[in-house]
Amino acid sequence: MTETQLLRAVEALVFLSPEPLSLVRLCELTEAAPGPVQRALAELAARHDASSGVELAEIAGGWVLRTQADLGAVCDRLRARPPEERLSPAALETLAVIAYLEPISRPEVARVRGVSAEATVASLLERGMIEEAGRASDGVAMRYRTTPAFQERFGLKGPHDLPSIAQFELSGAEAEAVRQRLRDAGHLPDEVV
Amino acid sequence: MSIRVRVADPLRLPLELDLFEGPLDLLLTLVLREEIDLAELPLRDLVEVTLDGEESWDPPTTGELVLLLCSLAELKARRLVGEDDDDDLAPDPDAELVRERLAAQLIAFAPFQRAGVWLRTQDGIDGAVRYRRVPLQAADRTFGRHEPSELGDALARLMVAPQTPSLRHMNRRRVNIGEIVAELRGALRRAGQVSFEEMTTGADRLAHGMTLIACLELARRGEAHLEQPVPFGDIIVQRTQAGNSG
Repeated sequence: MTETQLLRAVEALVFLSPEPLSLVRLCELTEAAPGPVQRALAELAARHDASSGVELAEIAGGWVLRTQADLGAVCDRLRARPPEERLSPAALETLAVIAYLEPISRPEVARVRGVSAEATVASLLERGMIEEAGRASDGVAMRYRTTPAFQERFGLKGPHDLPSIAQFELSGAEAEAVRQRLRDAGHLPDEVV
Repeated sequence: MSIRVRVADPLRLPLELDLFEGPLDLLLTLVLREEIDLAELPLRDLVEVTLDGEESWDPPTTGELVLLLCSLAELKARRLVGEDDDDDLAPDPDAELVRERLAAQLIAFAPFQRAGVWLRTQDGIDGAVRYRRVPLQAADRTFGRHEPSELGDALARLMVAPQTPSLRHMNRRRVNIGEIVAELRGALRRAGQVSFEEMTTGADRLAHGMTLIACLELARRGEAHLEQPVPFGDIIVQRTQAGNSG
């Protein structure tokens, strides 16, 4: 298969597939080596630049052709967009806990959050943001993990395409500010100087 | 007062005061800030909602919950008794421990709260990119070329009235034991003895069984004598004297 043929085949596959196609899957389908397929993807991404109606995106562990963001309105005239509900702050926090600590059970999520997570986990399950990931060998609680739908919705290339949790940690000054607020409110005793 | 009340978050934490789902730590905070009058807080309801819910708490979480609830109960008791007692001026080491834990938990959970805020900024719900949503099965389906006559033939097959379903298998065969006994009596009257095998040649298993029962019935009444020379062999049914008189 020549490079041109491979490029056309990759373009046809990512156009036809309703879900992201991984590099491995593209290699299987085209019977080509990873190197040429990667070059074809790069060429395809360059071909579908801002002047094109669609763009090549690496999302949820694979490659997919999607419409350009500025064409959303005209696309919605063709097809009614399925209603999607916003996630509440509690759901986003729970999602963050699961995304960073997956697989994690519901009681473990509740311990991290400090509050019950039953309703939130059920809601995330219903929305397809998380899925069951089996039970731990030494436990009976079901564990959960995020789904490709979660990665797609939040524009993640894969389950681990998250910023380091360390960058979200409170700095020493910020942690001290929290403690000071607690002290000001009378929840913590004043430090003995 | 109602327990399920939404209160502004004093620590800018997006928490709700829903005691089954909501944070006990925030409730504790509000009580300590005296934004909620502890004297009016129904502790019994609070305990029931918290511990009798459907949530299965693990032991460490349950321990922390019980500790928090006990702290609330103690604070309420102190308030009801009166705060003029000199003993109340001394800080309670247990309550301080709970507060320290509360502060530690708030600080430990902060990264995930910030990650949740980051996720909100990444949420594609407001984005305008659109994906194909056609199921793969539909994409795989290909249609060949067909002649209009094929469609006509298919419709013609659909318009043929289907055959009436047979219910023969639902009919139960009925065997009258009285008729078999009468038939057996007639045969004995004519021949004096009959062979069981000859009587049941070509009969099904039900007729075999009922004929055997008829033979046993005649033997019970003394009208016939049964003899089977060889085990599992033929049964000879002979008319008795009683049978002759009948």
